[in-house]
Amino acid sequence: MSEKLLSVENLTMKFGGLIAIDDLSFSAMKDQITSIIGPNGAGKTTVFNCLTGFYKASSGSMFLNKDNKTLDLKKFSDFKVAQKAGVARTFQNIRLFPQMSVLENMMVAQHNKLMAASGFSLLGLINAPSFLRKEKEAKEISKYWLDIINLTNRADDNAGDLPYGDQRKLEIVRAMCIEPYLLCLDEPAAGLNAKESAELNKLLKFIQKEKKTGILLIEHDMSVVMGISDHVVVLNYGKKIFEGTAQETKKSPEVIEAYLGTEE
Amino acid sequence: MDKNFLQSSLKDSLFTGLIALALFGPIVGLRTVAVNEALVVQPKWLVVALIVAFCAIGRFFINIYSFKKEQRRGEPSSLGKAISNFLDTKGSQIALGAIIFSVIFPFMPFADRYWMDIAIMMMTYIMLGWGLNIVIGLAGLLDLGYVAFYAVGAYSYALFAIHFGWSFWICLPLAGLFAGMFGILLGFPVLRLRGDYLAIVTLAFGEMIRILLLNWYTLTKGPDGLTGIPRPSFFGLPFKRYPDEGVETFHTFFGLEYSPMQRIIFLYYLILVLALITNFFTIKIRRLPVGRAWEALREDEIACKSLGVNPRNTKLTAFAVGAMFGGFAGSFFATRQAFISPESFTFIESAIIVAIVVLGGMGSQTGVVLSTIFLIGLIEVFRDFESYRMVAFGGAMVLIMIFRPKGILAKRKPTITMVKEK
Repeated sequence: MSEKLLSVENLTMKFGGLIAIDDLSFSAMKDQITSIIGPNGAGKTTVFNCLTGFYKASSGSMFLNKDNKTLDLKKFSDFKVAQKAGVARTFQNIRLFPQMSVLENMMVAQHNKLMAASGFSLLGLINAPSFLRKEKEAKEISKYWLDIINLTNRADDNAGDLPYGDQRKLEIVRAMCIEPYLLCLDEPAAGLNAKESAELNKLLKFIQKEKKTGILLIEHDMSVVMGISDHVVVLNYGKKIFEGTAQETKKSPEVIEAYLGTEE
Repeated sequence: MDKNFLQSSLKDSLFTGLIALALFGPIVGLRTVAVNEALVVQPKWLVVALIVAFCAIGRFFINIYSFKKEQRRGEPSSLGKAISNFLDTKGSQIALGAIIFSVIFPFMPFADRYWMDIAIMMMTYIMLGWGLNIVIGLAGLLDLGYVAFYAVGAYSYALFAIHFGWSFWICLPLAGLFAGMFGILLGFPVLRLRGDYLAIVTLAFGEMIRILLLNWYTLTKGPDGLTGIPRPSFFGLPFKRYPDEGVETFHTFFGLEYSPMQRIIFLYYLILVLALITNFFTIKIRRLPVGRAWEALREDEIACKSLGVNPRNTKLTAFAVGAMFGGFAGSFFATRQAFISPESFTFIESAIIVAIVVLGGMGSQTGVVLSTIFLIGLIEVFRDFESYRMVAFGGAMVLIMIFRPKGILAKRKPTITMVKEK
């Protein structure tokens, strides 16, 4: 049994009278892929938005175990979740910097460490060797990731000019550039063909095994969910209706009912 | 040529003619003249007919040659493509040539007082354009109140110089610092605003500063303006024909004949150096993490947050740095004019600077130079035609937007490349 990475306890999110997430508790293990599935409007993306600081949860708590320290994610506001707690995310509708080159996208993801190295731009302005060294390192890291997704030869093209599947993969490796402990992926396989989602599975497995990064995955594509998830959480109307392994989920009557309805 | 296409172009140009008739008919066609102490309407239908014909035929040709020929409005026209290709490949040589030309410009045979004044004015606008380019072009924050920082720079320079008698080189950084602080002051309340809302608030901020300058009589002398701002000196050597007793002047020190042009040429070099500093600073900072974060923020603020980029600090630095250069330009303006009043800092100045940046191509340094030469040059050429100056200005904008919808130079170069540049 591996260590607990994330534990969400009694998370509730209300928008006025609408209860988007209702008393949700689940946990994700270190070096595991945890999938959150559920019909449209079940509150999956809202869970992500609460975790990554885009929304402030109405009640409940979220804890991240980072280097044997427990961080309360509620205490971090938007960008600090990524900067301080090491939670990275991607978006359902891809959010790259389309007019910037692929390499620049990767460099922006390493902003905080480069900013410190550039002495808040003062050392950078005078081309201090320490800054140039850091910049070169960052470029190496970018190249390492771009090599993995076979995009190195397009590194100087605008990110917006890439094919759709490559943009998805670029967004994931860009998120990996902040060296996260937890990577939250919002429907990474949406719009991908069979070959591309197989590649995606490989990439996610690589991140899980080699980088020891916990992955939280929202997905509709069951070939991805069943193929790589170690653990599945099923939501419906903001409530958790099932939690278990992929195999157990497939057989669960509650899940089948939520997706297909009941026989009258 | 396609018959349908001809037909629709004709229809479109007839419609344009109708609009022109509706607009110019009452404005130009009906003129009231005083005859025997009574106002009589004197129609001038021939002029109206000429204007309408010009609009309709012009529209027809625009239709044929620009819009529908290739059926792609967003694409640059072939001439524009050739120009930007030329600028892309020969960019550094052109920049070097332009710098050399601006250095030897004062010694050209035709460079008389008039030309030098225009050159100084253009240089000031280029510098302001480069400063605002950081805010609008890089960080994507549409700032319609940039003239406020220009004003803050000018007034803080003037007040320091008048009341404390400090020299230009001490007051200049102070003015920049003050303007930068005002940039942060503006930045805080507008952190959450984007697009149109941001534009409205910055516009209001620009007006607030102007009205403050008008009404704070004890400090700024209100509409009377500040007079007697010290002229700049050449490292302590003043430009004066009859200096005070015992003071060496520029022309006696170098053993030259006195000429008022010496001061003008010095001012020219001063603004040239200031503008070039702005330019090189911007080029350099664009390649640093903070510059890349500015551009990333322009592209997608939410993605920036998800990558741990602090949007607040990033925006504030953009505002502060842009405002600082506006302040530098302002203090140059104050020392050149020796007199400043709120009149010089009206909204139209902000609008001109924004137009320079947007028409030049957002974020393009060379584009700013080209559009300044084009726009300010046009205003100057039409100086003798008074009321048509702004028509020419507007016409120039329309032309650029038709032929280069993304600005004169729209191509963006990456700040870092994997492959070594060829």
